[in-house]
Amino acid sequence: MIDTAITVNMAHRLYWKGRYLQRAQTMLKELLIGYDNVIDRDHDYGRYHYAKLDIEIDYGNAYDFLYQGVYGNHGSSIVSMIMMARENAIEGRNLLDERGFARLNLIHNCIVSARGKEVTPTMIEDFIDDLSFILGIFSSELGRTKAYNFVRLGQYIERFDLILRLYGGFDYVNAELDAMNTLAKRLNPDYQLNKIFTSDLSKALATINGIINKVIEEKACIFKIVEKES
Amino acid sequence: MTEPITPELQKFYDIFDGVDQSKVSEFKDFLETNAVNFNLFKEGSFIERSFPFDMIPRIIPKKEFDHLEAGIIQRVRALNSFLNDIYTDQKIVADGIVPKEYIDSATGYLSSFQGVIPLKGIRTHISGIDLVKDTVSGEWVILEDNLRVPSGVSYPLTIRRAFRHTYPEFFEQMNVSKISQYGTQLKDAMDYVSTGGLNVILTPGRYNSAFYEHSYLAKVTGATLVNGDDLIIENEVVYLKSYNGERLRVGAIYRRLDDDFLDTEEFDEESLIGVPHLMSAYRAGNVAVMNSIGNGVADDKGIYYFVPEMIRYYLKEEPILSNAPTYLPYYEKDREYVLANIDKLVIKDVAEAGGYGVLFGNRLTPEQREEIIAKIIENPRRFIAQEVIEFYDLPCMLNGGIEPRKADLRAYVIYGEEITVSMGGLTRYAMEEGNYLVNSSQGGGFKDTWVVEL
Repeated sequence: MIDTAITVNMAHRLYWKGRYLQRAQTMLKELLIGYDNVIDRDHDYGRYHYAKLDIEIDYGNAYDFLYQGVYGNHGSSIVSMIMMARENAIEGRNLLDERGFARLNLIHNCIVSARGKEVTPTMIEDFIDDLSFILGIFSSELGRTKAYNFVRLGQYIERFDLILRLYGGFDYVNAELDAMNTLAKRLNPDYQLNKIFTSDLSKALATINGIINKVIEEKACIFKIVEKES
Repeated sequence: MTEPITPELQKFYDIFDGVDQSKVSEFKDFLETNAVNFNLFKEGSFIERSFPFDMIPRIIPKKEFDHLEAGIIQRVRALNSFLNDIYTDQKIVADGIVPKEYIDSATGYLSSFQGVIPLKGIRTHISGIDLVKDTVSGEWVILEDNLRVPSGVSYPLTIRRAFRHTYPEFFEQMNVSKISQYGTQLKDAMDYVSTGGLNVILTPGRYNSAFYEHSYLAKVTGATLVNGDDLIIENEVVYLKSYNGERLRVGAIYRRLDDDFLDTEEFDEESLIGVPHLMSAYRAGNVAVMNSIGNGVADDKGIYYFVPEMIRYYLKEEPILSNAPTYLPYYEKDREYVLANIDKLVIKDVAEAGGYGVLFGNRLTPEQREEIIAKIIENPRRFIAQEVIEFYDLPCMLNGGIEPRKADLRAYVIYGEEITVSMGGLTRYAMEEGNYLVNSSQGGGFKDTWVVEL
């Protein structure tokens, strides 16, 4: 099993691919939850929910809420998440599973070409299934390459970020942190384990989102030279 | 004129009659779904574009390909010898075979690399040789040698796999030569010249028209795909900046960018995609750069004229494959002929590539004709003229039927411990009937190329 060298640039691409995919999948699920709420429980549920991500959205009805979630002019729209995930995947595709890449590209093509058309819950469910396929496909490989681990790390960080922002789940994040720390240490043995000893959201987010900088050591490049024979 | 149907092509048609033809559309879906792109820049815009594909392959009988293979290997050996000579003793100039002016004025000739000898004496690690089949003689004719950064090999490799998945019947019933070993051969060639360390493929980045190919080749060779800023030079040694702070020694670089952009200290100082000081490592022999620096002098359109003589000079052999009949306006006799017969010739600007700078004399307006004549007289070295080769059309599935289209063949050659020609190649066809420009950058499509032994 070949585990090729990973450059700083490539590590970032794989990590962000994992983050964007995770965010897209999570936000699609949140859209379905919000859809039910908007129909007959709380019409403004979507506004409040997106406000937790510092995003203002406006919609007229439940279908429009879905449309704004997928195509709205904001940083967490599904279409922008998928486009960013695809961009990172294109640059890292030599290290990614071909079927996973093809499925992501297919989702991208579908979602871009459907702009302007109605967004239904069934479509959202189909996208969730497709993204689950992509995120799961790595897990079916026998090897755990560095590329796989960077994508997984991105998924972990994004999940934690959204759990904290949307639900303030500090206990949940702390409980799951060990698995992420193990992954990060596997990528970089110099990585120091982290716990979130705070209930301050902005500090916790800074800690979570700063983890990647402890795994990818851009500045340390000037200190170490390792010669490896191919 | 469409190439006559060989027994091998007839067998393809016979098998095709018996398969589910509705599955042909799966190829287009496959290329789009997998983003098998040859991107274009048009009017300043980046356009992601699947490379148009036609499923009827160009089929070359094995015996015919054996002849081609021998001729191509001979040519690449001679061109490699020429480059080694030009960057050292220039005996071929001293012996009057190639005029010195043709070397000195070639834009690809880099005099500052005079005396730099690449590892194992190999300069043409990866070549793409363009050929067409002449309808008059029935022989293959060399149109161009691409010795800098020839692209395209990934497309037939990719589609072959899809073909085997969609229509296994052809491969069960026809003896089609395999091409899948290309990745291993390329890796072996990189290992052969490596100075020890990683193999990397240096890409200009995601917005290069052939980025798909760079990524593909990294995958099949196991080389690390890098951008310029992923590499760093220290004490004339190339290192890859690994994400964890380590620097990993690089032994071989398959660069997919032109000389001009490789090193801001040596070439274009505004290049954002190169590696500063890379040439210091190259000169010191601490890294293999594939293809070598300065190869452009050998695939200059003016130098092409001399390749048959190079074969005789360096190899003491007669050329197995012919050039298209070519005239150099630089020589007075040729110039007189060109100016008198411009209406029936193709005029090529030696500084251009990718199908640009090609003028068909019979399509010029009187004003254009006068303009090009004036340019030839003013700077004869800048142009070559060739007889129009009436090369074969190939059958293509277009517009709901089968239509003829002009097509060439790019054969791929790897020069490592030995020289190997991929047993297939990229067949490119023009999108419009009667168009002679088949280049991908001109909007052309591609076919797989099957070498078949019945």
